Amino acid sequence: MMKKILVWDLPVRLGHWLMAGGFALAWATGDSESWRLVHVFAGGTVTTVALFRLVWGVLGSKHARFASFVRGPRQALEYLKSLLRFSPQHYTGHNPAGGLAVMALLLLALASGASGWLTYQEMGGEWLEELHEFATGLMLAVVFVHIAGVLVGSLAHWENLPRAMITGFKRGEPGEAISGQRRFAAVLLIGWAVASAWWLAQ
Amino acid sequence: METYAAEAAKQAPGYQPSGERGAALYSKRFGVSEKMPACTACHTETPDQAGRHAVTGKAIKPLGPRAEAARFTDAAKTEKWFRRNCSEVVGRECSAAEKADFILFLTEGK
Repeated sequence: MMKKILVWDLPVRLGHWLMAGGFALAWATGDSESWRLVHVFAGGTVTTVALFRLVWGVLGSKHARFASFVRGPRQALEYLKSLLRFSPQHYTGHNPAGGLAVMALLLLALASGASGWLTYQEMGGEWLEELHEFATGLMLAVVFVHIAGVLVGSLAHWENLPRAMITGFKRGEPGEAISGQRRFAAVLLIGWAVASAWWLAQ
Repeated sequence: METYAAEAAKQAPGYQPSGERGAALYSKRFGVSEKMPACTACHTETPDQAGRHAVTGKAIKPLGPRAEAARFTDAAKTEKWFRRNCSEVVGRECSAAEKADFILFLTEGK
């Protein structure tokens, strides 16, 4: 019996929207020198949230853990095919294709953040700046694929997935629910992300 | 510089790059950006001197090729920074003529 259950804990949701907002702000300010500090702070937030997410992918609640949603390309393909057949496989947490997007975005965020920060500190050469622009451009492309996937998934499963990333609640078997919001970890996430992004911008 | 000068001559026959116009462009207060009203805000009045970023406070190597030989040797990099800094400091794109004048001023003076 499918019911509304808590699937995404608070650190997952907060981290998601911090990354989304930070990425948008960093993208908008990338070419500007007067917004340079804002750019580094916003990009720094994306990066430090991604670092937190790596830890949370091991220590987090059930559906936040990488082991629960990172699957190979074959399963991602199977899932996409099931969408095309109009009989989509239902996953309580991330579907295998979404899981790949999550990992790609995390890795690109780290590559973009590391190369961007080194460029800002003028360590390394031009190639780091090129890498920064390349990784960020690729990340924007994956963001669009991710958004398209969320829209298609929302329609296919007739479930508002963006809202689920706000409230944390999705349809699923009661046994699949997570036990709590993990509020303490969410406070740690905010403290860590803001403090370390601030430090990175110095 | 030659590329910009050739492009400018195509747009306006008879165009000759001028270090004097370049110098005027370099020190003009556009006032478009509050923190970076002119090139001099970061690159100082003397382009052969090291500058300081008006927002981040970070050191900037001299803009003038006489002090920093690598300046204006990479066409893509030159174009990228003209694009960024013109739009922010001047408030619009710079023309090929302005770019040629600017580089001539930095290379040979007025």
